Amino acid sequence: MEERRALEPTFKERAERHAPLLMSVVVFVLIVAVNRFLQPNFFNRFVIRSNITTFLPLIMAAIGQTMVVLTGNIDLSLGSIITVVNVVIITLFGKMPEATGLQLAIPILVGVLVGLLAGTVNGFLIAKLRLQAVIATFASNLFWMGLALAVLPVPGGSVPWDLSSFYRSWFLGLPMSVWFLLLVMVFWALLRRTRLIRYFYAVGGNASNAYRSGIRVEWILIGAYALCGFFAGLSGLALTLDISSGDPLVGHPLTLSSITAVVIGGTLLSGGSGSPIGSILGACILGLVRNIIFFANVPPFYQDFIFGVVVIIALIVSSLGARRRTA
Amino acid sequence: MAHLRTEGICKNFGGVRALHNVDFSCARGEIHALLGANGSGKSTLSKIITGVVAADRGTVYINNRAAAIHGPNDMFAQGISAVYQELSLIPQLTVAENILLGQEPTRLGGINSKAAWKRAAEVLQTIAAKLDSEIPLHVPVRSLSSAEQQLVEIAKALAREPEILILDEATASLREKEVQVVFEEVRRLREQGCTVIFISHRLEEVFDLCERATVLRNGEVVATVNLAETTEQDLLRHMLGEVASVDSLSVPAPQDRVVLEVKELSSASSFQRINFQLRAGEILGLGGLQGQGQSEVIQAIYGARPYTGRILFEGQEVQIHKPAAAINSGIVLVPGDRHVEGLALQRSVLENVTLPSVAHRSRFGLLKMGREEEVTAGVVERLQVKVADVHLPVNTLSGGNQQKAVIGKWLLTQSKVMLLDDPTKGVDVQARLEIYRSVEELCSQGVSFLLSSSDNKELIALCHRVLVMYEGQIVAELAGEELTEENLVAASMRITPGVKGVS
Repeated sequence: MEERRALEPTFKERAERHAPLLMSVVVFVLIVAVNRFLQPNFFNRFVIRSNITTFLPLIMAAIGQTMVVLTGNIDLSLGSIITVVNVVIITLFGKMPEATGLQLAIPILVGVLVGLLAGTVNGFLIAKLRLQAVIATFASNLFWMGLALAVLPVPGGSVPWDLSSFYRSWFLGLPMSVWFLLLVMVFWALLRRTRLIRYFYAVGGNASNAYRSGIRVEWILIGAYALCGFFAGLSGLALTLDISSGDPLVGHPLTLSSITAVVIGGTLLSGGSGSPIGSILGACILGLVRNIIFFANVPPFYQDFIFGVVVIIALIVSSLGARRRTA
Repeated sequence: MAHLRTEGICKNFGGVRALHNVDFSCARGEIHALLGANGSGKSTLSKIITGVVAADRGTVYINNRAAAIHGPNDMFAQGISAVYQELSLIPQLTVAENILLGQEPTRLGGINSKAAWKRAAEVLQTIAAKLDSEIPLHVPVRSLSSAEQQLVEIAKALAREPEILILDEATASLREKEVQVVFEEVRRLREQGCTVIFISHRLEEVFDLCERATVLRNGEVVATVNLAETTEQDLLRHMLGEVASVDSLSVPAPQDRVVLEVKELSSASSFQRINFQLRAGEILGLGGLQGQGQSEVIQAIYGARPYTGRILFEGQEVQIHKPAAAINSGIVLVPGDRHVEGLALQRSVLENVTLPSVAHRSRFGLLKMGREEEVTAGVVERLQVKVADVHLPVNTLSGGNQQKAVIGKWLLTQSKVMLLDDPTKGVDVQARLEIYRSVEELCSQGVSFLLSSSDNKELIALCHRVLVMYEGQIVAELAGEELTEENLVAASMRITPGVKGVS
């Protein structure tokens, strides 16, 4: 201990602690630059609205996935929960065609609540019945998928005109989808100060030591999955408002995309370190790469191939931050 | 009135008696040591008091009221805090976050970070203020040295403001100066009426800090003594009791040829400057109290732990930095925890036994089943593994036979040195003897063994020589007439021998 250590965080220490997040910021800025180069009107306000509206379902899903990944777990049923939320909201709108004003909030609230409940069920399977997260959520994935098909067997329905025009409107110069995102970020800013979130990190860091410290690990896990389900509800809402219809298969791809977004955002799958802010960036990066491939005129047959390659590169770059830290 | 008292505590672990009718008591404001040799049950007792392990029978009383302690929260509710050598810190969280983990002050539903910071600083100050270097509150604990982590762990226990504090080898990674700082704080707590149970392998610390000591032997309380009127030799006699004569096996004398030699082997803080030679057909023991670096030495030689120094195999220096390198040289490991490292439990005896050596017998990557059955039958015969059918999964065997299967799989690779890391842990007496016979048999064929064991009787029965380790160093070498249980225990606790005639 010859070298005296500072008792306040130094710039270098802060930078090291946030290295994984910084890496995803670097990737994000690069991707934005490339996108801007290929799409000159990228910063046009209507383009921004369209982009955020398209990315929002994945952003919400990625935040939800982060909650369980922080505890060292995973949710493979996330996409199907989002689907259930979508078909529930659309079906309820179909049942109340005369609804106006605040009545429109009822299907939305019910939809988000369904997401929360579904997440809680996952949490019970894992925390109380001690099933492995991968298997338990893979199985519940099938269950939610079947449930969505039972609720709405064929795509259809629509969001009331009042609501979809509200979602496309502007408030104080910002589109509603951006307000939606800002609101969720404020919610996170408050949430992250709670014991619950601190304990997500503790359980993900070392579950048995967290238990020995008096933390009720089972309830923390249930909390993580419930919160994940809540964000799945918000994701389902954002998706429904975007596509303005119901589809019993729509959420499926979001499961693996959300995990990819979480990892690109610098959160370790082993748990205990990372943040949903990184996951938001990760989700945007995935969406922007799709844009770039479109604007670069890649022939349709090669689009998935190129997408895969770029995602792998993004994963490698963002893992550099994490690797440097453990070295 | 006793502050903490246990009555008739019994605990068996799968037929092995860990504690039997333990009555233990300490007064309020007392610093009480819990002493005993390996396997005497002192750790089990502290784990029962803290609710980590449930007693089969018996009651823990706190302030004369029966206390039902089923987990950490019950323990905290009873005003108990415990520090184990095995830390309970979360490596990614900061020092401040760790100190208050589980009891963060809140405001408006969120953590009151200002108050938390102040409280953590205050608690850490009680210990860290007197040290030369300060421990910053904002760094993740994984960036601290192991001694600093240990101090943070102690601070974390103190943050609970315990009425009963259990320190189980809590000073093991601390240096003299840091130990004194911790003791000062412990004495201050005692003045406030806190009761402390102190477990340490360093007897000088016990004499320095504690007033009374309870000695456990084979799971029973044999004495509670006033330390001011007790000598180290008295304690040794209590811990040792009557020395039953051990049936020595007829292990043949080793050859002169040196098979394995280590020179100045060191590994970070685990062990330092280990030197020894192992001859063909020799059984060399690594003894001492548990956790003095014996397992780590074995891991290093097996390539599972980084080391500095030299390892010579049959006179040639070898670089062993991964287990594959050790196995190629003919050095293999029989771990104590065979469930984790030694066997694929659901697979058959045949698959397990033949696994490491299949490459020698395959042609074009294919195996002849008949040949595989033949070699397995050979091993089963030679080691007398009790198994009805070699195609049965290995977890249908008893513990002792499983361990023989591990030895057997290495036999087929023509290994020359077997590293045994507490090989009879959790194995019943009969199976133990059979494992000993297998070792004896292989030994007479020139296979050499390095045996780490927490069971002194096992070391005496099997070994030609025993090296006693203490805090990562070899402190004694015992062989022949000197290899007695008394000398082993004395050397492991660094007591000057000279208590002849223990009756």
